[in-house]
Amino acid sequence: MSALHAVWRRNISETLAGALPIVLALGIWYVISAWNFAPASLLPSPVTVFRRFLVLLGDPQFLQNAGATLYRLFVGFGIAVMLGIGIGILAAGNRTVAALMQPVIRVLAPVPKIALYPALVLMFGFDHSSKIALVVADALFPILLATYQGAVAVDPKLVWSARAAGASQTRCLFTIVLTAALPSILTGARIGLIIACIVVFLAEMILSTDGLGQLLVRAARNFQTVDMFVPIIAISMLGLLLNAAFNMLSKRLLVGFPSQN
Amino acid sequence: MATDMIKIAGVSKVYDTTQRGRHVALGDISIDIAEGQFVSILGPSGCGKSTLLYILGGFVEATTGQVLVNGQKVTGPGPDRGPVFQEFALFPWKTVLGNVMYGPLQQGLSKEAATARARELLVLVHLQNYEGFYPKELSGGMKQRVALARTLAYGPKILLMDEPFGALDAYTRTRLQNELLDIWGRDRKTVMFVTHSVEEAVFLSDRVFVMTKSPGHIRKVFDIDLPRPRVRAELLLDRRYQDYVIAIERLMDEQIEEIA
Amino acid sequence: MARLNAIPGVPVLIACLAILLIWDLLSRVVMVSGLPPPWGALQEVPVILTDKESLVNILASLRRMSIGFSLAVAFAVPVGLLMGRSRLVAAFFNPLFMIIYPVPKAALMPIIMLWLGVGEMSKILVIFLGVSLPVIYHSYQGSKAVEEKMLWSAAAMGLGPMARLLRVVFPAALPEIMVGCRTGVVLALITMVTSEMIARQTGIGNIFFNALDMAQYDTVYAMIIVIGILGFLCDWGFEAVRRMLLGWAAPVHDIAVGSA
Ligand SMILES: Nc1ncnc2c1ncn2[C@@H]1O[C@H](COP(=O)(O)OP(=O)(O)OP(=O)(O)O)[C@@H](O)[C@H]1O
Ligand SMILES: [Mg+2]
Repeated sequence: MSALHAVWRRNISETLAGALPIVLALGIWYVISAWNFAPASLLPSPVTVFRRFLVLLGDPQFLQNAGATLYRLFVGFGIAVMLGIGIGILAAGNRTVAALMQPVIRVLAPVPKIALYPALVLMFGFDHSSKIALVVADALFPILLATYQGAVAVDPKLVWSARAAGASQTRCLFTIVLTAALPSILTGARIGLIIACIVVFLAEMILSTDGLGQLLVRAARNFQTVDMFVPIIAISMLGLLLNAAFNMLSKRLLVGFPSQN
Repeated sequence: MATDMIKIAGVSKVYDTTQRGRHVALGDISIDIAEGQFVSILGPSGCGKSTLLYILGGFVEATTGQVLVNGQKVTGPGPDRGPVFQEFALFPWKTVLGNVMYGPLQQGLSKEAATARARELLVLVHLQNYEGFYPKELSGGMKQRVALARTLAYGPKILLMDEPFGALDAYTRTRLQNELLDIWGRDRKTVMFVTHSVEEAVFLSDRVFVMTKSPGHIRKVFDIDLPRPRVRAELLLDRRYQDYVIAIERLMDEQIEEIA
Repeated sequence: MARLNAIPGVPVLIACLAILLIWDLLSRVVMVSGLPPPWGALQEVPVILTDKESLVNILASLRRMSIGFSLAVAFAVPVGLLMGRSRLVAAFFNPLFMIIYPVPKAALMPIIMLWLGVGEMSKILVIFLGVSLPVIYHSYQGSKAVEEKMLWSAAAMGLGPMARLLRVVFPAALPEIMVGCRTGVVLALITMVTSEMIARQTGIGNIFFNALDMAQYDTVYAMIIVIGILGFLCDWGFEAVRRMLLGWAAPVHDIAVGSA
């Protein structure tokens, strides 16, 4: 019982320790603006910013921009997941595919994909497709690599057990190997999701007619400082929410797997 | 009993490693095993016992020679040969029942039939109360029982067991040995059993093959002429059992000295 | 294929050729609009690299990148190591970093420019922010994984907490720290490119958008090639350094991925 108590107390103190820097940052931000250390045109008060955020959450125009961002994010991420898992599994199951893929990935993975964006705009225009293409290019590699590495690391005895039971090689690849690699795949997909979130916003900042990123650029051009903070807060919250949702989904999908931190 | 179910003819395995060049993992092995026999393989670590078993299973291709099972050349894995590994190799995302059902489902049984078949086997390995558990929630001995049930479920005629009890504590090990003999006594499958324990080999087998150090050849074959059903407590006092164990241990000690 | 792949540099060359060929096919056979064949862009690359103004721009960008990266490593490694060795420090920073993680760092550029102006400081600060988190994360993981027993023996030898951190934890975590740095250096480039594309006034972003405005598409694609080569070189160079320093550690297949 007392051991449990000690664990509890430690959890509480750790939670408090974790809350401290966040509270501190918000506090300093508040004090700076409330006591006029910085003019509101440079740093608006956190209260103003969050109030504006809440107001905009009911604003149809804001929601429309957020919707455009979400649409690009999810379509791009979905394509990246399908391509990444598909190519990754194929490369794990076929040496020739792997030998062809590896050097190409080695060259393309560290290339800053954002630099492709001007070209993607030339090819696909200003609308959704160019942003979706960029999201795919950026989110693809973590998913593909995690799938390949996870699939290659699957214990061959798991596959042999299935093969001996009568499953064909192809069937094993898409049932046994794919499932056994799931923890790694989900880790890659989560990284890909956050990257997708970030990159869609940046693309909208660089060249776009709508979306959350564009709202930030527009606000900056008009020196509306409060409206500059709101999109950033919105995209960060979106990232946090998606991350949490993804963790929940992972926990469901990974029933039975040894837990990993 | 008369027909040779497994014919291993001049099988060897050479691995092409990029760093160390060609590496002979298994010497030249020729063994015939009759249907229904329980055969054990003993030998120093790294001599190629697992490799031989994997070749039999069709998981690994032999470099030379061939394996015939019932006159058919082995070219890949098949449900006539069921492996049981030291590491259990259970599907972590499937429950106990799901794992055992896997084989029957692959064999084309309906879901109901597969479930019924799996339940039968879980009773056989005394795990009928654990069907909803995931492998990670089981002890080592229970995991190995599930693995055995999963393999038995698709009805292989040959069991290929690679140190199946190697990761278990001594007590669980003897219990599982008894259970294995029990199950084997029912339908007399052909069993190829790799182990490091001389006592285990003698206790379980009709024949014991002792291999040389790497690259392994067959050094000597012992026909274990002990009555069945075998009861551990009786055998431990049996002079013939003791003689087999001592003779095999001596032979293996000699090898160790040769290495040293 | 396998033999060719074994020669260093050859797979990369083949990959580059393959990419160019696919590009060529896409532009001429599939006729993707807005995509010229690669050869014009390739010819434009030396033009950019010999043009004085472009070269100065690119070198200035690289200088900012190195400064931001170095500052971030100097800050992030100690923080990460401390987090790994103290539950309290980890508990203190973890939630904060979790909130910062999904913030697009380069998107802070307009706000930072509002505060610090368009000068070097803003650009370096953004790169610093972009690089810090992954380096902290990997240092944290590396330091957390250091075996407790190693520290106990060090303590028994009379090493104080600081000495233990410097002389035991740091070297033991170095392989993982290097992974973080490798990701970090690629991220530095990504953040640099992104922030300059957002700010547009100087450097790479300037070259890009000038070319776009004047419809010099070959220049746009040439810039992409230049940045791509920079990214590959950053990654490859860092891997080479890592291998030189840490030949003893297992090779890390981790390929750097990330986004600003
Ligand atoms: N995939 C592989 N590539 C290269 N060499 C291998 C491979 N698998 C096994 N070997 C080598 O083949 C030899 C035989 O290995 P094997 O696993 O069959 O031995 P074993 O008799 O089962 O040993 P143990 O008793 O330790 O299980 C060893 O020298 C091993 O190093
Ligand atoms: Mg073995």
